[in-house]
Amino acid sequence: MHVDVWHEVGERNVGRAGLLLIGLIVLLAIFAPVLTPYSPRENTSTQAFSRPSADHWLGTNDARQDIWTQLLYGARTSLSVGFGVALLSGFISVLVGGTAAIFGGLYDRFWMRIVDATIAIPDVVVIILVAAYLRPNVLLMILLLSALSWPGGARVIRAQTLTLKERMHVSAARTFGAGWSHLLFRHIVPDLAPVLVAIMIQDARRAVFMEAGLSFLGISDPSVMSWGKMMQYARVFTYLEVWKWWLLPTGLALSSTLIGLSFTGYALESALDPRLRDRDDHAEGGV
Amino acid sequence: MLNIQDLKVSYDGALILAGVDLDLLRGDSLAIIGESGAGKTTLGLALMGLGEGRVSGRVLLDGKDLTTLDEVARRRIRGKEMAMVFQNVEDALNPIMTVSDQIKEAIDVHRERGDPGYVGDRVRRLFRAVGLDEAKGRSFPHQLSGGEKQRALIAMALANDPQVLILDEPTASLDAVTKAEITRLLRERMENKIALVITHDISTAARLTDKMAVLYAGRIVELGDTQDLLGSPRHPYTRGLIRSSPNMTTPKDLQGIPGRMIHGVSGCPFSDRCTQRIEICSEAVPPLVEAGGRLIACHRGGIVPLLELSRVVTRFGGLAAVDGVDLTLYEGETIALVGESGSGKTTLAKTVIGLFDLAEGEMRLEGEPLVRRDRDFYRKVQMIYQNPKESISHRMTVLDAVTEPLLIQKVGGAAERIEIAKRVLEEVELSTDEAFLKRYPHQISGGEAQRVAIARALVLNPKLLIADEPTSALDPSVQAKILKLLLDIQEKRGLAILFITHDIALARKVSDRLAVMLKGKIVEEGSAGGVTTAPIHPYTMRLLEVAPDLDPKSRGMSGPWAVPEGPTIRAREF
Repeated sequence: MHVDVWHEVGERNVGRAGLLLIGLIVLLAIFAPVLTPYSPRENTSTQAFSRPSADHWLGTNDARQDIWTQLLYGARTSLSVGFGVALLSGFISVLVGGTAAIFGGLYDRFWMRIVDATIAIPDVVVIILVAAYLRPNVLLMILLLSALSWPGGARVIRAQTLTLKERMHVSAARTFGAGWSHLLFRHIVPDLAPVLVAIMIQDARRAVFMEAGLSFLGISDPSVMSWGKMMQYARVFTYLEVWKWWLLPTGLALSSTLIGLSFTGYALESALDPRLRDRDDHAEGGV
Repeated sequence: MLNIQDLKVSYDGALILAGVDLDLLRGDSLAIIGESGAGKTTLGLALMGLGEGRVSGRVLLDGKDLTTLDEVARRRIRGKEMAMVFQNVEDALNPIMTVSDQIKEAIDVHRERGDPGYVGDRVRRLFRAVGLDEAKGRSFPHQLSGGEKQRALIAMALANDPQVLILDEPTASLDAVTKAEITRLLRERMENKIALVITHDISTAARLTDKMAVLYAGRIVELGDTQDLLGSPRHPYTRGLIRSSPNMTTPKDLQGIPGRMIHGVSGCPFSDRCTQRIEICSEAVPPLVEAGGRLIACHRGGIVPLLELSRVVTRFGGLAAVDGVDLTLYEGETIALVGESGSGKTTLAKTVIGLFDLAEGEMRLEGEPLVRRDRDFYRKVQMIYQNPKESISHRMTVLDAVTEPLLIQKVGGAAERIEIAKRVLEEVELSTDEAFLKRYPHQISGGEAQRVAIARALVLNPKLLIADEPTSALDPSVQAKILKLLLDIQEKRGLAILFITHDIALARKVSDRLAVMLKGKIVEEGSAGGVTTAPIHPYTMRLLEVAPDLDPKSRGMSGPWAVPEGPTIRAREF
């Protein structure tokens, strides 16, 4: 059955909105140096707590830093962590879930018990404790979040692989003498792609949220510019009018990212599951 | 008694007979079969002392070596002790003499003094013996039919009641009915003589003789009891000969032998055409040695068993889907595994290829126990599946699909892989232009997809191909083409095929042997002809009864194999 999942995601309003939001934020993050003349830590000559102006679109903070610049660079951190975790955690999910399904037996049972155990651990508590101890930078943050988010994906991938591996072309490849990596990456992953992307988007969303949360609690690397950290600093000055152009835009940026990812993931999931498909959306029939 | 010892004949330095040894007693009848050019006629002529070229070795008739005799002495024996019926009935008779004069001449030359009364009497008796009207004796050869000429020639050969009778293609130019009459006549006249029948017509040889020798490039490659040898040929060449000769016993389509006979090949004379050759075959001439009641000249001891299954059991949970199967598949042979769905055919196939685990029993490939299936195993054994489109990933183009096994097996570089793939695609009669190579499975027809699947299975040059209902998803006309293709490939490559089908009518057309499977067990196994014409097991009878039949009268109700419903039901309890 050939269903062009990506085409369908683009066809849906929810999907379109999600992709648009993410696309916008990605562009802002990439072109940050073009969109602002300042660097995020630069103490400008403008007065602290100045209101938005032509020079400073979102004014300045207590340390005379440009808030718009900080917002742009914060997006970089959030997205890096999000994409990084999505990739790493997705890869581990495929590797563990896929090989468990292909090999079966004791190997399968071993990994599935690890998955069960990891899922049973309350990850927020673990992450807060570990992060408080390590004060992680972006890379360490990615590793830490990935380590806790792959098991859910692995379980889904394993289930999918179990059905995919019974397909005749996979059997055929086995009878050419193919090893597990060939089977997994040439035959199974391509058919798994939409599901995998759905899992990765989910991972990314959680990662962005967790990163912001940890930064807000002040237990990430202090040298990293991040939305969570911006909100933590801004929170102190809520008695001033500055929250309107400091705390509010940062919160909106974070929310937009999360909503964008959620919408895309939601659209993708409903495109994948025929039961969730809207009939009217699909009146012209499949491809 | 005729003993031939190391008889060699060479023309212009080419060895046409390369050392033939035969021992024949009075009453023996031996067929010498082989392709034209194998040296059959040369052997006959050499025995008669009529051959050109250099002859060496010994021909002992009752202990007397004929090769050392001078021409005068030879002539005395020729026609008297030893007579030959020549191949070409048109040329063997003198056109300007009447038939009875020619026979008289044959008697006269071996007599001291003429006694016309005796000769006339003898001629009359000979005419009676060969079933020829005496009045015909006054005819000239051109006034006789082919059959009558052949009878006259036989009468001539029998003129002096020789001890050794050599028949060179005695029925070659005759129609079927005359052939049958002449064959019967010869059979009678050959009694109590040493008879050598030289022919490429295996069915005539089978009717005339008790023993059979297969001659290839001047050497005997197999010698044994005629029935036994034709029923289970052991030398690959013998099997090739039988496969390529039309008969009413083998339902499988005719197949040729690849290549051409060349004299003077180093090592085994058949080695360049043999599909099971190993290194030694092209290095040393195999001796003719006794094996299992016959003589065979093959370094590998004859056609080798490729796949041997003994007491094979495959279980799903507690259920034995394959329940103790014994089966041996020989090199270059097709076994059809026939049975209804759920009989365990596919399970057995998948157990062999390693998609299912073996629960009990043993499997051997080329004599080695199959324990682990590594890459080398999959170079030797390949499988094609029921639904070709599903067996090819929908994300792969034709070229990707055909090169995939090579990629997995790490064969050559990218360019070399494409080269091999194109060659195999040509072999399965598919286009190799860029547009076709870039197509995806859903863009090609079912027949094309199955050809791609076959090409993909052949690309590693396997020895065994497992074909699991390879044509059940195809139209009848496409099915016929695919089956023809498989037979051609088998002929060319000497591939052994385990052919799985529920259709016994189809199975008999493609297989040498047939195994009927029921509830995980093989209930009947034998030659395709034997099983389909004289089934033993009630279930086989039932299968044949419901097999496709174009005769509207039978309507699958009561064909010639109809059996009462009772035994069929009991058979299901096996």
